[in-house]
Amino acid sequence: MTKNFGNLIALQDVDVVLRKGEILGMIGPNGSGKTTLFNVISGIYAPLSGEIRFQGQAITNKKPHMICRLGIARTFQIVQPFGQMNLLENVLIGSMYGRGMPIETGRNKAEEVLYFVGLKDKMYLTANEVTTEDRRRLELARALATEPQIILLDEIMAGLTPAEIEEALKLLYEVNRRGISIFMVEHIMKAVMTISTRIIVLNYGQKIAEGSPKEMAENPEVIKAYLGDRYV
Amino acid sequence: MIILGAVAPLGISGYWLRFITFIFMWIGLAGSLNLLTGYTGYLDFGHVAFFGIGSYGTGVLMVKLGMPFFPAMLISAVLAGFLAIIVGIPTMRLRGAYFAIAMLAFAEAMKQVVLEFDGITGGGNGLSLPIYTNYQFFYYAMLGTVLLLIGTTYGFENSKFGKGLMAIREAELAAEVTGINTLYCKLIAFGISAFFAGIIGGIYAYWMTFLYPGDTFSVLITMRMIIMAFLGGAGTLLGPIIGAAFLATIEEILWAEFKYTYLIIVGFIVVFVVLILPRGLVGLFRQRILAR
Repeated sequence: MTKNFGNLIALQDVDVVLRKGEILGMIGPNGSGKTTLFNVISGIYAPLSGEIRFQGQAITNKKPHMICRLGIARTFQIVQPFGQMNLLENVLIGSMYGRGMPIETGRNKAEEVLYFVGLKDKMYLTANEVTTEDRRRLELARALATEPQIILLDEIMAGLTPAEIEEALKLLYEVNRRGISIFMVEHIMKAVMTISTRIIVLNYGQKIAEGSPKEMAENPEVIKAYLGDRYV
Repeated sequence: MIILGAVAPLGISGYWLRFITFIFMWIGLAGSLNLLTGYTGYLDFGHVAFFGIGSYGTGVLMVKLGMPFFPAMLISAVLAGFLAIIVGIPTMRLRGAYFAIAMLAFAEAMKQVVLEFDGITGGGNGLSLPIYTNYQFFYYAMLGTVLLLIGTTYGFENSKFGKGLMAIREAELAAEVTGINTLYCKLIAFGISAFFAGIIGGIYAYWMTFLYPGDTFSVLITMRMIIMAFLGGAGTLLGPIIGAAFLATIEEILWAEFKYTYLIIVGFIVVFVVLILPRGLVGLFRQRILAR
């Protein structure tokens, strides 16, 4: 069943398979195409060639809002909150539009998700009034409110303190435990190595390695991409 | 308030009736712009086009086809809304200044269309409508439109659709990937906004009984709508009402006192208010309430 539920993603010559229930980490130097890959999956860019399949269905040229409604949510590396709206309304957009809920049930869902990420106390503050860390949680909450099958996380831990990273990891484990597959880009190695069940490495727009976190840490290609030839 | 508005015209002079009817008209126009610009963030520099389409549509249907006022006005307003959606399909893919410029060009183009087809529109000679001097009728027509507009704006504030528009205004890409069909929502908002501008245009045409392309499609009308909406507070229910009433009243007072220099003074007041109150007059009241 897990196999049949798999998702095949191809971008130029990058092939990625995200299996149901897994936490797939993606690493690679700056400019290696990680965010671009996310943008193609979420429908912001159309791929030049290749195909994106989700639950056996081709979603290659679908608009971003359709992809979201199908069950692929995402967060942005540079957070994009709805600044003048309060946190409840921010998350409500996810439940109303991403999941098609009317405003009343959408509100219940939004409050539940805000509680889950620990923002319930602040739900009547506007997104402009909360800290960067809270905005990252908000970004996650908004995506979760769409009740996705897959969530694409683009560096949600950047700029967090070690204690906050611990918190974030716990939260992500819990998200995953609820049956949501995670595909994450992360620069913080400790975090991504800890949480990922599998890791892929991009360099110059190509997939140079794939495997368990341990294998990746020992892979000469990966070390070369990050540190240069001399360290191999 | 509503009762006062309903009985007021019975006891006031022609001057005041006209003045208040004008204020309603500007509340309506600023409010129609607010539905689009205030909620989606798309600044429309050609919004007068829809006022003009409403005006000329009503005029042409009444004069050339002998249609009664109400159906003529409604058809014209629907036409304005429909045209907004058609124009919006290409232009609403543009953001910021590009949309504003495209709409500015659209309004100028509509003026040229009216000038060109002078066999139907009267062109540069203007268009005279059947004369109707029951000024209380226009008062109630404008008031009714404003109430309908307030109801619609209230709906925007509290509905799923309105929240979606605000999300587009705040972060359009994030709105799209969170499941909002942004183009569709923007087009519907644009259509509703233009429909209201069209209704006001239709009432205005019948009220003034004479239309001239240069005045009816004047960019100054757009500017006033924008200034009033932002002065009061764009993206709020009360903003355009307060902004329009405030500016129209100030202008009227100053015009009586300083016949030749009043526009300069008005200009300074607008600059001053915008500088110290970036969120409009409504923003000031909100701050006061929060400070308590």
